[in-house]
Amino acid sequence: MTIDAEVQALSRVPLFQGLEPSKLRLLAFISDRIEFQDGEHLCHQGDDGDSAFVVLSGKVAVFVDENEVARVGQYAIIGEIAILCDVPRTATLRAVGTTHILAISKDDFLKLIAEFPKVSLEIMRVLALRLEKTTRELAQVRPAST
Amino acid sequence: MEKSLFQFIWKNSARYQMAILLVTILSYPVSYILLDLPKTITNEAIQGSNFPVELFGIQLGQIQYLAVLCILFLLLVVVSNCIKLYLNVYKGRLGERMLRQLRFELFQRVLRFRLPHFKKVSSGEIIPMITAEVEDVGGFVGEAFALPAYQGGMLVVQIGFIFMQDPLLGLAAISLYPVQGYIIPKLQQKVVRLSRQRVKNVRVIADKVGESISGISEIHSNDTSAWHSADLSDRLYRNFRIRFDIYNRKYFIKFVNNFMNQLTPFFFYFIGGYLVIKGQLSIGALIAVIAAYKDLAGPWKELLAYYQMTADVSVKYQTVVENFDPPDLYDKQRLLDGESLVLKGPLTLDKLGLSGAGTGRGVHGVSLNVEPGKPLAVSGVDGSGRAELLQMAAGLLSPTSGAVSINNTNFESMSESTLGRQIAYVGGHLHVWTGTIRDNLFYGLRHRPQEKVEYEGSELKKRQRQLKEAAMTLNPHFDLKARWEDYVRADAGSMQELEDKALELCKVAGFSRDLYLLGVETVINPGEKEELNGSLIPELVEARKALREKIQNDTKLQNLVEFWDPEKLNMSANLAQNLFFASPKEHFMTIEYVPADPQISAFLKKTGFDVLLTDVGLQIAKTMVELFADVSTDSDLLNRYSFISREELPEFARIVNEQKGEQRRKRLRDVDRVSLIALALKLIPAKHRLGVLDDDMCEKILAARKQFMETVGKDNARFEFFDPDTYLTTLSIEENLVFGHARLDRRDARLKIQQVLQELVRERDLINPIRRAAFDYQVGIAGAKLSSHQRRSICLVRALLKNAHIYVLDETASSVSATDMALREELRKLLSDKILMFGVSNESVAEEFSAVVYLENGRVIER
Repeated sequence: MTIDAEVQALSRVPLFQGLEPSKLRLLAFISDRIEFQDGEHLCHQGDDGDSAFVVLSGKVAVFVDENEVARVGQYAIIGEIAILCDVPRTATLRAVGTTHILAISKDDFLKLIAEFPKVSLEIMRVLALRLEKTTRELAQVRPAST
Repeated sequence: MEKSLFQFIWKNSARYQMAILLVTILSYPVSYILLDLPKTITNEAIQGSNFPVELFGIQLGQIQYLAVLCILFLLLVVVSNCIKLYLNVYKGRLGERMLRQLRFELFQRVLRFRLPHFKKVSSGEIIPMITAEVEDVGGFVGEAFALPAYQGGMLVVQIGFIFMQDPLLGLAAISLYPVQGYIIPKLQQKVVRLSRQRVKNVRVIADKVGESISGISEIHSNDTSAWHSADLSDRLYRNFRIRFDIYNRKYFIKFVNNFMNQLTPFFFYFIGGYLVIKGQLSIGALIAVIAAYKDLAGPWKELLAYYQMTADVSVKYQTVVENFDPPDLYDKQRLLDGESLVLKGPLTLDKLGLSGAGTGRGVHGVSLNVEPGKPLAVSGVDGSGRAELLQMAAGLLSPTSGAVSINNTNFESMSESTLGRQIAYVGGHLHVWTGTIRDNLFYGLRHRPQEKVEYEGSELKKRQRQLKEAAMTLNPHFDLKARWEDYVRADAGSMQELEDKALELCKVAGFSRDLYLLGVETVINPGEKEELNGSLIPELVEARKALREKIQNDTKLQNLVEFWDPEKLNMSANLAQNLFFASPKEHFMTIEYVPADPQISAFLKKTGFDVLLTDVGLQIAKTMVELFADVSTDSDLLNRYSFISREELPEFARIVNEQKGEQRRKRLRDVDRVSLIALALKLIPAKHRLGVLDDDMCEKILAARKQFMETVGKDNARFEFFDPDTYLTTLSIEENLVFGHARLDRRDARLKIQQVLQELVRERDLINPIRRAAFDYQVGIAGAKLSSHQRRSICLVRALLKNAHIYVLDETASSVSATDMALREELRKLLSDKILMFGVSNESVAEEFSAVVYLENGRVIER
């Protein structure tokens, strides 16, 4: 698998959707491609988060308090909050079958943002949209609960 | 030491100086005849008329006479030049010998300095004294007596000639000498004073440079490089001023001399002219005198140059030697005495006093008695006199009053061969020598060579010459090539046993784990120590196979390593390793150098890889330039991820730019091609994922790999191939055992592998051999590659190994940590029949000992 395939995977990640292909390529290049065997852990709940994971192939099971809550597949991004702010991991991640992951480290991602302000604008936009969506959903839920 | 240069020269080379003088005098008649003969040839043989001439009873015709004279001339030319050659070689050799002797004497004096003296002198000052400053002495020694004798003689002869012609003219010829003799030394005195200043200033410069190097981290962490720059620049300016001053004065002296020399003919023309006119002197005589006077200028000039050189070299000699003559120098015998006493019984410190000289670190009236087998803790904070007291007890520092003695023998009267073998001291300031761990551990056993090396044939001749030179220059005759380690002292019979012993002691000192970790990093060369490594190598190769099996059969470990496989590409290794499948034996063969190497470059050309790799390199360069083009220069993204550094990027951008159009390869310069190939060779497929390696390329690499092995041959002097059955002498033990690369795309692969490796090593009983291999680990400059714990451990083992009677340990294993506590326990056990003095600053540690003295302000206090 070459960097081009990774760029494609990154371009499908909503958080990076607005980025130019050249920046995606740079992001892919500075990230680590890691192979996980079946059952190997990507991270543990409560650890310090230091990188986000993009699933290139295979599946990853998500555990919260030792209960599996989800299972994600190709092109999913997991733990992306960790690369934007310091929060402990909220879930344990485990590879299901041989899985290839692109790990984007927090330090390098922040450096990339510092380097290219446009990237941060794009990401801000995506986050704002998410926030707006969450707020709207919350507003819909609240009258019903009171 | 001789205070003046001439004393030194005369004392050490009087015999040789006389020989030089003798040969010089012998050469007088030869040179005289040689100068005279051409005149005879022209006047008598060519223009003469009274033939035949009788020579030694033989009648000679004109042609024959000419032939005889010419052959005589030829003969004299040969003889005179032979004498010159002999004399110069003799002088040169004498000079070099004297230089060697002087340098050695100076170094030996450094060894005889007492410890406190080193607080006053710095290595930055001492080093130039022994090396550069005395250099000129060597050149001067050969000329010291011969030159003034020869040139002086010439001068006297010429002046005598003039006097013989006419005493008045003779007086005229030397009339200005008194003036010159008065003025020139006056001027020279100033030069001498300046020379002194120059020497001292240069020393300060050397010292400042040395200090900047040792304090470099302080400079950076305090942003004081500007201050240091200004400081040095100031010194350099001072140096410039002094040097220029000297230059000016030296040439002024020359000027005065030349002027005076040319003034003298004034008297000749005036007085001589007057005498000729008055008819008291013939015109012929006047012309002869003037010609003779011209010949005076040569020797006079030489003598002046000699005078200036003498002044210069003398100053250098004196300014050096005065630093090596402190009044309290240890006696030479203390250093040279080979006899070593065996000390027994208790150690007595009697009313020891040491003046602190205002530092507040003195010791006052301390009396102690330490029995063998009864360890004594000496407790005191820094500055309580503890360190000084212990150094005195170890015979390193001489007390200003009182005495340290054992069996009523004062330490002061013992030689170093007793003190240094019977006392072991590990103090606050440690030194680890540049070299291997072995060198350092066995350092305490290297007192004198233990055996005589038997030389044969030409080696014997070389050795004999070396010994002869050593004797002539008062240097020691010890053979550096011999074995110096004293096995007996360490209760061992062979190197093997000594190493076993050292391993045991390393275990006691808590150094075993470090030894293992250093051991796996060590590169061992089985050729060098056959007897020690002989059986280890096959075992390591076996272990390599076992490790591979273990990793391959364990589902958890699988895929953690990419092994070297002749039939497969190793994605975690770079292209160079993949293509050549070998490791270079020469240290200079870095990847940057590889494409320029003639053998490699021929191979690349033959296989077409020069073009292929250039293309790959260009592709990589293109991608890198694209990716990092608009990354700002102060970002470290580039240096962390790209294999092109920030400095190189513009260069590669230029190459990429130039290669855009058609007909590109023609324009590619050789240098650029080399950098592109080197770039391609650095590519690690699993890390860089640039997709430049397609299947076709992979196959070509595998094919070329075989071809390379065939081309250079399996047994060659330059490369070692990755052969699963061979131990590679260019790789560390770990690299040899793992024999592949930890996969870069697996998390913590290297760490996991190292754990497995350690398990395997333990299973196969290789842990001790690997620790032993660590003995060959290079510790870097003064142990810079070791941690401070490791350095202390090495010094402790060094002390334990030498089986001394008295052990003085200060600031060693003296913390309250559990490991140190255990180590103290072990040490007490190990040294149960020795005298042990243990310096601690922590009172709770001191309480572990049955006997404790407490020090405060250099006095024993009651508790």
